[in-house]
Amino acid sequence: MVALLASVGTSASYAQGDADSDVEAKILATEHMWGQAYVSKDPKALERILDDAFVNIDSDGVVQNKAEAVAEVSTSTIVQFLTESMVVHLHGNTAIVTGIFQLKGVDHGKPFAQRERFVDTWLYKNGQWISIAGLVTRIGP
Amino acid sequence: MRTIGWLLVLVYATSLPGSAQKAGDSNPATAVRALEGERVKAEARNDNDALDLILDNAVVYIEAGKVISKGDYLLRVKSAKPQLQQIVLEAMTVRTVENTAIVVGTYRKTDGKDGKSLKRWRFVDTWVNKKGSWMLVAAAATPLAK
Repeated sequence: MVALLASVGTSASYAQGDADSDVEAKILATEHMWGQAYVSKDPKALERILDDAFVNIDSDGVVQNKAEAVAEVSTSTIVQFLTESMVVHLHGNTAIVTGIFQLKGVDHGKPFAQRERFVDTWLYKNGQWISIAGLVTRIGP
Repeated sequence: MRTIGWLLVLVYATSLPGSAQKAGDSNPATAVRALEGERVKAEARNDNDALDLILDNAVVYIEAGKVISKGDYLLRVKSAKPQLQQIVLEAMTVRTVENTAIVVGTYRKTDGKDGKSLKRWRFVDTWVNKKGSWMLVAAAATPLAK
């Protein structure tokens, strides 16, 4: 995971010629690391992925900043985090990712599972793709 | 967010002077804020021409947990029935980073006939400045828990 993060962080400037498919692959890999950070309770991974001014809206409409997101990872009870149907839309140095995540966990001995849709906004900043915003919502009928 | 199938009538939380040309405003946050208002106002007028200028061709619209394309979005706005519902735009914050703007805010939907509040939503919109014009590239909302 650390190697993958380093790869994202030290890649050549996107503006200097990475193919779109390479950029999409890097962003999707970072999305994957984001989810795995909850499983491995790795707040340092999230520290690198999220912009300092990151803002997230959860499926109840609650606003979460970077510090809150990082703290949540440390106390995560998630044991499995999978993503599906992820699509990257590139707009220069900005990228939009949509997808669905499925997670399973055990909280106070009680198993739980969630499957929700997300949209994340990524920005190529200081030679690295970082997330600046996200929203999670329940999947419609 | 099933609202785009209905004609929307706006009540602005703040004054939103000007029009879509506000994208040229020297203050990016002011320009984006104005465009947020213009977008909803355009929906209220079933003004697909205005929306076409505001929405990027690859815009991602998350509505009630579904991903909607620009074409589907415009089609539904065009076929919307008048005055079934109102949207009241509430608080909104705009943060710009380089050529990207993130808007986080809330709105509530009220019934157009009796004004009763139905549901409040929190939204995140992403705008990108392309060749001097701010374009909406992603819009998503989720209902606020009671």
